[in-house]
Amino acid sequence: MSMDQTFGIIDKIRMKIWLAALAALCMVLSCNGDNARLLASKNILNQYLVEGRDLTVQYSIYNTGGSAALDVNLKDEGFPETDFEVVRGNLNVRWERIAPGTNVTHSVILRPLQYGYFNFTSGEVSYKDSEDATESVSGYTSAPGEGGIVNSKEYDRRFSPHVLDWCVFAVMTLPSLVIPFLLFYRSKSRYDQPKTKKN
Amino acid sequence: MATTSSVVVLCCLFVLPLCVLGDTCLAPEVKTQTYTTTEAVTSTDTVFIIEFTLKCKNSVSNMNLYADIQGKTLPVTRTVTGDKYQVSFSDEHANLPSGSYNIRLFDEEGFAALRKTQRSGEDTGALKPVHTINMNHPGVWKGPFLQSEFVAATVAVFVWYLAYNARSQLQ
Repeated sequence: MSMDQTFGIIDKIRMKIWLAALAALCMVLSCNGDNARLLASKNILNQYLVEGRDLTVQYSIYNTGGSAALDVNLKDEGFPETDFEVVRGNLNVRWERIAPGTNVTHSVILRPLQYGYFNFTSGEVSYKDSEDATESVSGYTSAPGEGGIVNSKEYDRRFSPHVLDWCVFAVMTLPSLVIPFLLFYRSKSRYDQPKTKKN
Repeated sequence: MATTSSVVVLCCLFVLPLCVLGDTCLAPEVKTQTYTTTEAVTSTDTVFIIEFTLKCKNSVSNMNLYADIQGKTLPVTRTVTGDKYQVSFSDEHANLPSGSYNIRLFDEEGFAALRKTQRSGEDTGALKPVHTINMNHPGVWKGPFLQSEFVAATVAVFVWYLAYNARSQLQ
């Protein structure tokens, strides 16, 4: 690693620390302690996104506020029907209440129908931050960002055990092994005298 | 007067219990659809998803349910239309081996009792849930035990050994 790269990384880390501090400050200023405050994240629990294979989306909602969040709604419209098929789970759900200091997770299994790059956007969260709130607060989950969905053929080429391919290879190598062996075997059995006749 | 008071008493006797029972689900009829992660190559965590519909004899709907799975309690998610419930549970592959899992569903009352027994450190197995869902997890497939390249190389070496052996035995 060159010096430039090292300094670049250090700069990035420093910037991240500053950003984290700023975010914490904003939170302290805007949070008046008593009301509920939800932090929501959206994650994709897959190493590879493959066309036609299950993709897990996990939403985690954490209540950092001082009271329970009521009537929490989570809605995600970021998966159009032309690109994704829902295998199991719901993309529009609600919880009656989320107690302070606790988190809930929600998962949905989808199956990408097409390959290529896809921008995973954020879901919407709305909730009432106190018992007597009339209007609900709305916010967004984090967005996982752009991800490449691999072509299923490409994925098979890289990860399938290739049993059929190896079998074909074995059959193709058979003639070059078997024909010389048969020739050798015939001449051997013709000229080899059985040694047992010596006695 | 006597008749009206007896009517009131009768009302209390028959209507009040119904109001009290209004919150608890009687004879629940549960239809479940489950999903478990089966492949480890693409997914980082094992995820269980249990979707179910709940029908009560006393037509209670929009219940607040809690699920207890392996000693962890989580609130049950509901769809916005309110007719479907969902429990999502995820952990690392190693922590959720193949086998059968019991998911116990509790209503508010049962959940309070569950929390109480958990706090006192007693066994929660004696509590009576609204319903228990039994789910079978076939386990995650982590790829073949032997790489096919390895098997092919072994076979090739074996064939070469046979040929070499046969040649060295010639006079």
